[in-house]
Amino acid sequence: MMSMQMNEAEGSVKVAEWQQTYYAHDSGIQSGTTTVRDDEGTEYSAKKYAVTTTLVENPTEVEAQYTLTRAQRVRAAMFPETLVEGEAVLSTQTDPGQQTNVQRLAEPSQLLKTAIVHLINYQDDAELATRAVPELTKLLADDDAVVVNKAAMIVNQLTRKEASRRVLMQSPQMVAAVVRAMQNTGDMETARCAASVLHSLSHQREGLLAIFKSGGIPALVRMLSSPMESVLFYAITTLHNLLLHQEGAKMAVRLADGLQRMVPLLKKSNPKFLAITTDCLQLLSYGNQESKLIILANGGPEGLVFIMRNYNYEKLLWTTSRVLKVLSVCPSNKPAIVEAGGMQALGQHLTGSSQRLTQNCLWTLRNLSDAATKQEGLDGLLQVLVGQLGSDDVNMLTCATGILSNLTCNNSRNKALVTQCGGVEALIHAVLRAGEKEDVAEPAVCALRHLTSRHQDAELAQNAVRLHYGIPAIVKLLGQPHYWPVVKATVGLIRNLALCPVNQAPLRDAGAIPRLVNLLLKAHQDTQRHTSSSQQTYQDGVRMEEIVEGCTGALHILARDPVNRGEIASMQTIPLFVQLLYSYVENVKRVSAGVLCELALDKQSAEMIDAEGASAPLMELLHSSNEGIATYAAAVLFRISEDKSSDYRKRVSVELTHSLFKHDPAAWEMAHNAVPMQAAYLADELDGGYPPYIYSDLGVDGMPLEAEMHEQYMPEMAYDPRQAYPEPL
Amino acid sequence: MNREEAPGKSPEEMYVQQKVRVLLMLKKMGSNLTPSEEAFLRNYAGVVNAQMSQLPQHNIDQGAEDVVMAFSRQETEDRRQ
Repeated sequence: MMSMQMNEAEGSVKVAEWQQTYYAHDSGIQSGTTTVRDDEGTEYSAKKYAVTTTLVENPTEVEAQYTLTRAQRVRAAMFPETLVEGEAVLSTQTDPGQQTNVQRLAEPSQLLKTAIVHLINYQDDAELATRAVPELTKLLADDDAVVVNKAAMIVNQLTRKEASRRVLMQSPQMVAAVVRAMQNTGDMETARCAASVLHSLSHQREGLLAIFKSGGIPALVRMLSSPMESVLFYAITTLHNLLLHQEGAKMAVRLADGLQRMVPLLKKSNPKFLAITTDCLQLLSYGNQESKLIILANGGPEGLVFIMRNYNYEKLLWTTSRVLKVLSVCPSNKPAIVEAGGMQALGQHLTGSSQRLTQNCLWTLRNLSDAATKQEGLDGLLQVLVGQLGSDDVNMLTCATGILSNLTCNNSRNKALVTQCGGVEALIHAVLRAGEKEDVAEPAVCALRHLTSRHQDAELAQNAVRLHYGIPAIVKLLGQPHYWPVVKATVGLIRNLALCPVNQAPLRDAGAIPRLVNLLLKAHQDTQRHTSSSQQTYQDGVRMEEIVEGCTGALHILARDPVNRGEIASMQTIPLFVQLLYSYVENVKRVSAGVLCELALDKQSAEMIDAEGASAPLMELLHSSNEGIATYAAAVLFRISEDKSSDYRKRVSVELTHSLFKHDPAAWEMAHNAVPMQAAYLADELDGGYPPYIYSDLGVDGMPLEAEMHEQYMPEMAYDPRQAYPEPL
Repeated sequence: MNREEAPGKSPEEMYVQQKVRVLLMLKKMGSNLTPSEEAFLRNYAGVVNAQMSQLPQHNIDQGAEDVVMAFSRQETEDRRQ
């Protein structure tokens, strides 16, 4: 085909032209010949010409004209840059729908041209570079700044092409010279070119290694103080590439005080720049405590929180959240991040469309939450978290429950808010969905436990649990298999729920009492297996003494209900409660005295308590410095001594009066002066010579107290179990 | 007879005072009282009034304190996306 031949012919012509400028010999692009190197090292072409052309003999004038024009058109289409000024090419296209032959040629020709150009330049620039590198290396170290500048510019140009760039990175002397030039120059443009060179080199492994080996890292770190934005950008990006892909780079950046230079850059305003900078910080500080402390010392938390608060670029928010996540496990950084408003800032990003950002923020918030229990301004965050309790994503549930559990810890404002915005119902649903997942169940139950005590809406929460059918689900958590942290939290929650009288029957109906009693027995048996009090059993990180305390405490409150206390007493628990009075754990003494105090309201139970020998330990407990313990002990003693001999009641009175004076020193002083010596009170009760106590000296003016007490509590007076609870003061 | 106004208290007065305090404390902590205990308080209403102001203002028996959970024990690396 004539047009194809034209193409070949044109191509050959062009290459021939090129050959004249660049080579002395044929590279073989068109002719297909190979380059051969003989023994002396000179190259020559082993070309054998085999040209096939079809000549048209005797072209008519018209034909010749037409051919030339076509040749010109082909040349123009392929090499528009070769058009002589003034030359115009007329298109022969008559039908817009039909491409001319030239037009159809143009595309493949263009591809061919591009390929040719690439091939030519590759070989050309590589050669050039190889010859030029030693020269340029010298020039970069020249005393004349202008020379250095020019050399840097040329090297920068050379990095634009792959072939020459490869040559550069293979020369350690060249890379070192660039690094030195960048470091030592006072000229901005030189610094910029040099930084750009290193940046280009940093996209290949070889280049990274070359930069690393020639001390590029300290130099690049120094460039982070440059006032020139472009230098900053090249430097941070190059360092980023090194941190990502070059072994040893992290250590080198840290040693060069890279962190101290990077943290202040958080004040810059270019989001893409910030994204790279924060990613560098993350790479440097992950798993490295010292780096985290350096970031803290340089104001990292404030800078990072500022970004979270003020930017919208997703990638930047994500990289920043990753740094905060890394810092959030550091005990020193945690309070700083919280103080800088980190909780509020992270909370802004929980409802967006970026899943990865939301999840990072949640994990970070969870880590920070135990340091944020006193923070203000978390209302919005709390509401969002309650909303997230409806999620099916286990990670989201784990975080939301965990954060809520901590933020409601000892914070009555947060408790009230969460209760008011439907937190109780949402937490119950989370418990139901948690199943065996302790990472969700434990914090969810803890959060409910927090919500059901010690704040103005505690009663609201206690009722809400029942109203949203939470009681059966909660009681079920006491069942096997026991994960002790969940059991411990549940026992505490049940205790709080029982504070609400309306919950007492539902708790009983759900089988709370037998479950609690069995857990108590099991835990108590575990504690008894150890010979000395210093040994404690831990199961899943929970001491069995805590379970003993928790179960007894729950039973104490449940025992306020008369039916419940009958059920508790009927399970043979009284001997155990009396034994617990001897516990070395003060809280256990308190709750066991408390439950006995409630049980002793029933006469039969009071007798059983007495029969178990409770008086002795209770007398001891009257001396307790804990007023709650002393109160319960006194009350039990009153109740079990109702039917006793007057001698017994006297002794109780004496002990009580003496013991309770501990809380009232002035009264003790007066009493001490008013009555005979103490020795009399310590007389053996079997001794018939028990000195007459002042009570028996009372005349008719005043009724003897014990007689009065005796008269009030007549055995025939049935105690009405339906009596309403006295209102707490 | 109004014993509470006597300059030096007799032992039985001390006893009444202490028992009233115990019963008031029980009520404060949310516990129940027996009918005879309630009657005792009614009988010694004067002592009750005197004692009310001397009860501790803080809550005595509120159950276990809230405790935070420490979650930041270890670092987790997320996928570089």
